[in-house]
Amino acid sequence: MGKYSIGEFEEVILLTVAVLYENAYGISIKEDIEKRLGRKVSVGAMRTALSRLEKKGFLKSEFGEASAVRGGKRKRYFKVTPHGKKALEKVMEDRSKLWEAIPSMAFDFKFA
Amino acid sequence: MNNSLQTVLPKLPLRFLKWFCSPELIEDVEGDLSELFAMREEESKVKARFWFYLDVLLLFRPGIIKQVEFNKGLNQYNMLSNYLKIAFRNALRYKGYTFLNLFGLIVGIASSILVLMWVDDERSINKFHANGDEIYQAFRNMKQSNGMVSTTTSTPKPLGDLVREEYSEVDQVVWLSQSMELKIQLGDQLVDESGSFASPEALDMFTFDLILGDKGTALTELNSILVSESVALKYFGDNWRNEAIGKVLRIEDAMDAIVSGVFKDLGAKSTMDFNWLMNAQAYFGVNPWVNDWGNGSFQTFLRISDESKVQTVSDKILMEIKDHTVGNPNAGDEEVIIYKYEDTYLYSNFDNGVVSGGRIDFVRIMTIVAIFILIVACINFMNLTTARSSRRSKEIGLRKVMGAPKKSIRTQFYFEAFLLTAVAVTISVFVVIMAMPYFNDLVGKQLSVDFSDQRTWYFLIGLIFSVGLVSGSYPAVLLPAISIVQSIKGTMKQPSYAAYFRKGLVIFQFTVSTLLIIGTTVVYKQIDYVLNKDLGLNKDNLLAVGIDQGILGRLDTYKSELMRLPDVKAVSAASGNPLDYGRSTSSTNWEGKNPADGYEVNVMLTDEDLISTMGMEMLQGRDFSLQLEDSTNFIINEVAAEMMGFDDPLGKKLSFWGIDGRIIGVVKNFHMRNLYEPIAPLIITCIDPQRSNVVLVRIGDNMSETISAIEKVTASLSPESEFEYQFIDEAYEESYRNEKTVSKLANIFALISILISSLGLLGLASYSAEQRSREIGVRKVHGASVLQILMLLSKDYSKLIFIAFIVAIPFGFMVTQNWLDNFEFRTSLDPMVFIIAGVMALLIGVLTVTAKSYQAATVNPVKSLKQE
Repeated sequence: MGKYSIGEFEEVILLTVAVLYENAYGISIKEDIEKRLGRKVSVGAMRTALSRLEKKGFLKSEFGEASAVRGGKRKRYFKVTPHGKKALEKVMEDRSKLWEAIPSMAFDFKFA
Repeated sequence: MNNSLQTVLPKLPLRFLKWFCSPELIEDVEGDLSELFAMREEESKVKARFWFYLDVLLLFRPGIIKQVEFNKGLNQYNMLSNYLKIAFRNALRYKGYTFLNLFGLIVGIASSILVLMWVDDERSINKFHANGDEIYQAFRNMKQSNGMVSTTTSTPKPLGDLVREEYSEVDQVVWLSQSMELKIQLGDQLVDESGSFASPEALDMFTFDLILGDKGTALTELNSILVSESVALKYFGDNWRNEAIGKVLRIEDAMDAIVSGVFKDLGAKSTMDFNWLMNAQAYFGVNPWVNDWGNGSFQTFLRISDESKVQTVSDKILMEIKDHTVGNPNAGDEEVIIYKYEDTYLYSNFDNGVVSGGRIDFVRIMTIVAIFILIVACINFMNLTTARSSRRSKEIGLRKVMGAPKKSIRTQFYFEAFLLTAVAVTISVFVVIMAMPYFNDLVGKQLSVDFSDQRTWYFLIGLIFSVGLVSGSYPAVLLPAISIVQSIKGTMKQPSYAAYFRKGLVIFQFTVSTLLIIGTTVVYKQIDYVLNKDLGLNKDNLLAVGIDQGILGRLDTYKSELMRLPDVKAVSAASGNPLDYGRSTSSTNWEGKNPADGYEVNVMLTDEDLISTMGMEMLQGRDFSLQLEDSTNFIINEVAAEMMGFDDPLGKKLSFWGIDGRIIGVVKNFHMRNLYEPIAPLIITCIDPQRSNVVLVRIGDNMSETISAIEKVTASLSPESEFEYQFIDEAYEESYRNEKTVSKLANIFALISILISSLGLLGLASYSAEQRSREIGVRKVHGASVLQILMLLSKDYSKLIFIAFIVAIPFGFMVTQNWLDNFEFRTSLDPMVFIIAGVMALLIGVLTVTAKSYQAATVNPVKSLKQE
């Protein structure tokens, strides 16, 4: 926890931003999650998660070009910051620590 | 991207989005949404729109909604929260003063709320009629040759007929009888119920809540009867809603009436009080005497919807009775006046035919008192705040150095005043709710705080603002004026007027308190006088038993049966309670009377035992000895003797109601009405004891046993009638209930006022003792005794209370004398009253100051001088 505190949905968003690399903006993130993970994402939930992540410093953003399909509005592209990367690594690390700590018998359901 | 996919977003949600979305996010969010919309539009336009609406709604969440702008960038909000913080810190730091302040305010506000609720209730009585502002009641002024005018509501019935036919200005005319008791029988159930005869239009003119029946037709038949909900429940049981209508009730064993409606019980908000209503024509039909212009019978109500016509009507109606009774032997010199019915409850006293007040006097007095109490409580706040302003002077100075203008310091002190008041009002409301049952007991009402009523909230908010404004105003004017340099240096001197003003306020508080004590004492003395006055008869251990036809027929048997009871001393039948009597005639004639003069003389019908039973005193002549012998002999009272102008009334001829007889005695005056009114002339006759309504029984001290014995006798002679009795002295006391209530209220208020004032004084005294602690130390080092220091400290404030006493005397004298003047019979204004009030206020005030000063005076000077 501490300075790398991150929620599950936030983690998904952050990872997706990393996956999309140069093409991570609102709609692409939403679509990617929906396609890859098969879960519904509302614009509102995603938007709040993005701004929260940006406030925590895990993401940074800049405006891209305007396009007609967006009604002349510019896209805001997101990028994972080094701090965000550390946060993701921390989460991974925590999880693998836990995975490693699981005794081999624990998931052996045959005798359960 | 394809340019042809230029999309048009739905306008309404877009505007909503633009309104709430934070400006940093709006461009991107809007772009995302339009991109999504374009994609979805390819599938289905309807779906795209639907999702767009939903997305916008889902975006309405914290994190995306912009910060509310008015707290951003402006300092007001921060300053207010700072004021709030400082106010709390100050309040907690000086807990004692905060407590004094709050306690005074709470006591003052709570008691004012209670009294204002009482006032509001008084004002709301009879105001529930929807057409209330169009209903006028006719009153009859009967002029008497001695210059007095007596006013009554019972008007001749033909007056109503005349107005109905000839007055185009009047929309409706309604007759309503005075309340009368009738025996109502259903099966074997027979009960006396009081009610009235009324015109069918009464249901339309007044707003009586009909539960069953139609107000247009319910009273139109001669044999219809409407009953109240409680009577319906009594006769028809729980299922009265289905049972009552169409049932036949036997009235006085003389006629059958069909229940045609049930109305809601009239309740405490109505002075009209009837449990049944019957058609007035049914009464007129069997009582032809009502058709005489000379006989007052029913109350007459007029509905005049055009207010500009009211004057015309009252001009026209004025002389109607006189014009129609020319040559009528029952005629008197009479005028008819009309008053708005709603006002007749508060303005019920008539003095020489003109309204001279009534309960409105009490309502006004109590309103003024409530406001004064509030002011006294506000003054505490002012004085405590300004006196202790040196505590805050550094804060004020610093605020000014940091650039605070006077205005914002003023705002701060108003803010603190409003805050404290809001807390006090909130707590007061709880206090009021807790105290409500006791208060209701005291005033005999059923009041309750109704939070669903908007007026309650308006009132409470108004209270917070007015009390906050008054108590905050003086500190808010005085404190910002402090000079910066002085306040920072800590040598702050308040302007000299500030101390004077403070003293002035203390004087005001104690003047109010002293006035209230004076007022209470005078009211108490007058009520004591009223209740203990020699009324001309002995009202103790005296019972009035209601009797009916069954007993009247065997009156002599009844009397002798009662006399055989061991604890019954005397028995007499009479046509009413002698202490509350008003049956009069203007047909009297006597030797030497000027035929042109009209006099209204009371007539009491009784038997030969009245004078002795009542303990009345004969001044001249003799008492009746035997009813049969004395049936045309009359006894008159002193007032009548004087009015008739006889030097020696004995043996003089006197006639009324067509009975000729002679005067055989003069009885000492006794009071037949309340003490607001003079004693009226009276003729006592024993010609027909059968026309009595009550039997007066003088009993010994063995009351409960005797009463049940009397009940047995009554039941044996008249099995079907209810046994009803009252103690004459209790009934008499009851008739002054209003005065007693006000006296109790005033008493409590006087106590509260002096309590609040003393609290304020306590705060001031302890503060000045604290400020002068060094001075006291130095004095003690130089050998001053505790007593001397006590004198020194108490002197200042005692002087103020003494001044307050001097100021209160003339006001108190004026006010109380004015009130006493209402009474025809009154106690004298005793200087002792003023002295007692003054000494009480002085004693309480001085004790408060001295107690605090004693604390200061006994401190070891080492302690107070040590700290530098």
